[in-house]
Amino acid sequence: MALQPVAKLPFEGLIADARSHKLGKWHSKLSERALEQYAEIGWPGPKTESWKYTSLNKIASGTFSLAGEYSAIVPEDMIMPLTCPRVVLVNGVLNKELSNLEHLIGNLSITSLVDIEDHQKTFFDDLFKSEESKGDLPLTHLNTAILSDAVMLEITEGSKCELPLHIISIGSGNGITFAPRLIVNVGIGAKVDFIESHVGCSDSAYFSNSVTQLYLGDNSEVGHYKLQNDSRESSHISLTRAVIDDGASYDNFTMSVGAKLSRNEVRAHLKGSGVECCINGAYLGAADQHIDNTTFIEHQAEGSSSREVFKGVLDDTARGVFQGKILVHPEAQKTDGYQMNRAMLLSDKAEIDSKPELEIYADDVRCSHGATVGELEDELIFYLCARGIDRESARRMLIGAYISDAIDEVKNIDIRSSIQIVAENWLKQNLYEK
Amino acid sequence: MSLLSIRDLHATVGGNEILKGINLEIGPGEIHAVMGPNGSGKSTLSYVLAGREGYEVTRGTIAFKGKDLIDLAADERANEGVFLAFQYPVEVPGVVGMTFLREAYNAKLRYLGKQEIDAMEFLKFVRSRAKTLNMSDDMLKRAVNVGFSGGEKKRNEILQMAVLEPDLAILDETDSGLDIDALKLVSDGVNELRSENHSMLIITHYQRLLNYIQPDHVHVLAHGKIQRSGGKELALELEAKGYAEFSEEAA
Repeated sequence: MALQPVAKLPFEGLIADARSHKLGKWHSKLSERALEQYAEIGWPGPKTESWKYTSLNKIASGTFSLAGEYSAIVPEDMIMPLTCPRVVLVNGVLNKELSNLEHLIGNLSITSLVDIEDHQKTFFDDLFKSEESKGDLPLTHLNTAILSDAVMLEITEGSKCELPLHIISIGSGNGITFAPRLIVNVGIGAKVDFIESHVGCSDSAYFSNSVTQLYLGDNSEVGHYKLQNDSRESSHISLTRAVIDDGASYDNFTMSVGAKLSRNEVRAHLKGSGVECCINGAYLGAADQHIDNTTFIEHQAEGSSSREVFKGVLDDTARGVFQGKILVHPEAQKTDGYQMNRAMLLSDKAEIDSKPELEIYADDVRCSHGATVGELEDELIFYLCARGIDRESARRMLIGAYISDAIDEVKNIDIRSSIQIVAENWLKQNLYEK
Repeated sequence: MSLLSIRDLHATVGGNEILKGINLEIGPGEIHAVMGPNGSGKSTLSYVLAGREGYEVTRGTIAFKGKDLIDLAADERANEGVFLAFQYPVEVPGVVGMTFLREAYNAKLRYLGKQEIDAMEFLKFVRSRAKTLNMSDDMLKRAVNVGFSGGEKKRNEILQMAVLEPDLAILDETDSGLDIDALKLVSDGVNELRSENHSMLIITHYQRLLNYIQPDHVHVLAHGKIQRSGGKELALELEAKGYAEFSEEAA
C-alpha cells in the first residue's frame, strides 16, 4: 500500500516569513506557540463539525503571500456611513495617516503592537496566552502566528464615550493574506460604541483572517457593530470573542454584504450574572456569495439574558449558513435565551442552512429558538402594485422591511440608521428581477 | 362616454377559462353591483381589471377613460384611477401604514407628472379621512394590516380608497366577514366618496351591503357571463329567490 502524502498545513510556509516582520523577536516566540497550537488542531476540513456548511478548501488550496506595506485610500462608499473618529488598518496594520486619532477624547487609548514598549510586552503575552487555550479555533492561532500588528483599544473605568469609534480594515492587493487583530478592553462601568468596517480595494482577491477580542468589565455598556463589505472576490473569516462580566451589556450586530466567502463567528462568554447580551445580524447575498454566521453564547452564571435575531435575503445562487449554539452551565439558573434566524430566498437556487443548538445543564431556564425560510409572495407584491407602486419599488420596500426588522435591534439609533442606509444601497444595487 | 367599457371579455386562470364573454359599461358616477353565486367568476373579474399576474385575457377589450387597460401593468392601472378593495387584504409586515399610503399617493402624483406632497400636509389629509372611518393614529403607525381584525382590514381598504380617490373603485366582497357595525362604517366611508366623479363596481354575494350602498345597476354574473341586468330591485329579487335559476343554466 502506498503511503499517503502528509497533507501540508495551509499557510505554514508563510508563518516563518511573518516572523521576520517588524514585530521582531517577541512576536517570533508568540508565533511559534501559535503555530504549535494551529498544527495540533489542524485546518478545518469537511469533517470538522463547526465547518460542516462552510468549506475552506478554496482558501487552503489558494496561493497567498503575506501582505506587505501597502498604501490605500479609504473607500468612503463602502464603509459604514457615519462621521466619527477613525482608526484605519491597511492589510491589518494600523495606518496613522488615514486615522484621525487626534479627535479621540480622554479616557480612550489606542495602542498598536508595533509601538509597544518592552514593559508592555508581558501584558500582551499574557493576553495572547489566555486566548490560546480557548477551544477549537485554528484560524485564531493562524492569525496570531502571522500577525503584522494588533490594535488595542482601552476605555478606562467609568468613562463614557459620547462618539462612537470607527475601525476601518482595508484589504488591498491581490493574492494576499493578512490578519487584522483588535483587542478591546472596557473598564468597569465604562460605556463605548464602536464600529468595524471591513472593506477592500475594488476587486482585490485577498484572504482576511480577522480576530476581535473584547473584555467587558462589570456594568460596562458596549455597542459593537460590524459591516462586512469586503471586496466581492475576497474571503473574510472572522472571529469575535467577548468575555463579559457582571451586569455588563453587550450589543453586537453584524451586517454582511461583501466578500465571496465569509464567516462571521461571534462567541460570547457570559462570565458574570445579570449580563444582557445581544448578538444580532443581517445578511444580504447575491451572485455566488457564501455568507456564514456562527454564534456561540455561553451562559456561565446566574440570571443573564441573551438574544439573537438574524435575518437574511439571498438571491441567485447565494448561500447562507446560520449556526447558533447556546450553552447553559448548571450554575446559570434563571437564564433567558432567545434565538431566531429567518431567511428570505429570492431565487430557486439560493440556499440557507440553519442549525440551532441548545445545550442546557440548568433546570430553571427559559430558552427558545426558531428558524424560518420564506420567499417573497406574489400576493404581497400585487397588493402594493394595486396601490400604484411599481413592481421593482414594491419588491424593494418589502425586502427592505423584512431586513429592517433585524436592523431595528441595533440599540444605537445613529448607527441603526447607518446600517439601514447600507441595506437600502444594497437593495438598489442588487435587486432587479432576472 | 363610459368610464369603463368591457366588451366580450374572456379570461383564463391557470389555463381554465373563467370569464366567457363579459359585457359591461360603467358611466361616470355610477354604482354597479355584480352579484352571483360562488365560483361564478366575480373575483376573477376584479383581478382581471386590476391587472393581477396569472389572470390572462384571451379575448375582448377593456377600455378605461378611453385607454386600453389590458396593456397596462397593475401599478399603471392604479395610477390611472382603478382601485381594487381586496376581499382578503394582505398583511404587509414592516411597512408602516402611513408610509405605505404616502408611497402610493406619491406614486400617483409622479405618474401624473405632479410634485410629491409635503409629508405634514399629507398627514393632516389622511387623519381627516381616517376619522370618518373611526381609525386611530395608532392603526396608521402600525405595519399595514398586521394584527388587524377582519373589520379593521376592510376599513383600512376603504381608507386607502378615500385617500387615493380613484375614478373607479372595485369593491370585492367588502362586506364579507363584517359585523353590522363594521358594515355601517365601511358603507359610510364608501358613500362619502360617492359623487359624479367616482364610479364603483361592487362585487358581492349577498344583498345586505346594497342596503347601505344603493346601486344604480345590478348584474348577475354566473358561469363567466352576465346573465341578467336590472335596477336595484334585482338585488332584492335575488335575495328572495337565491341563485338557483342561474345554476340551472350551467348545462
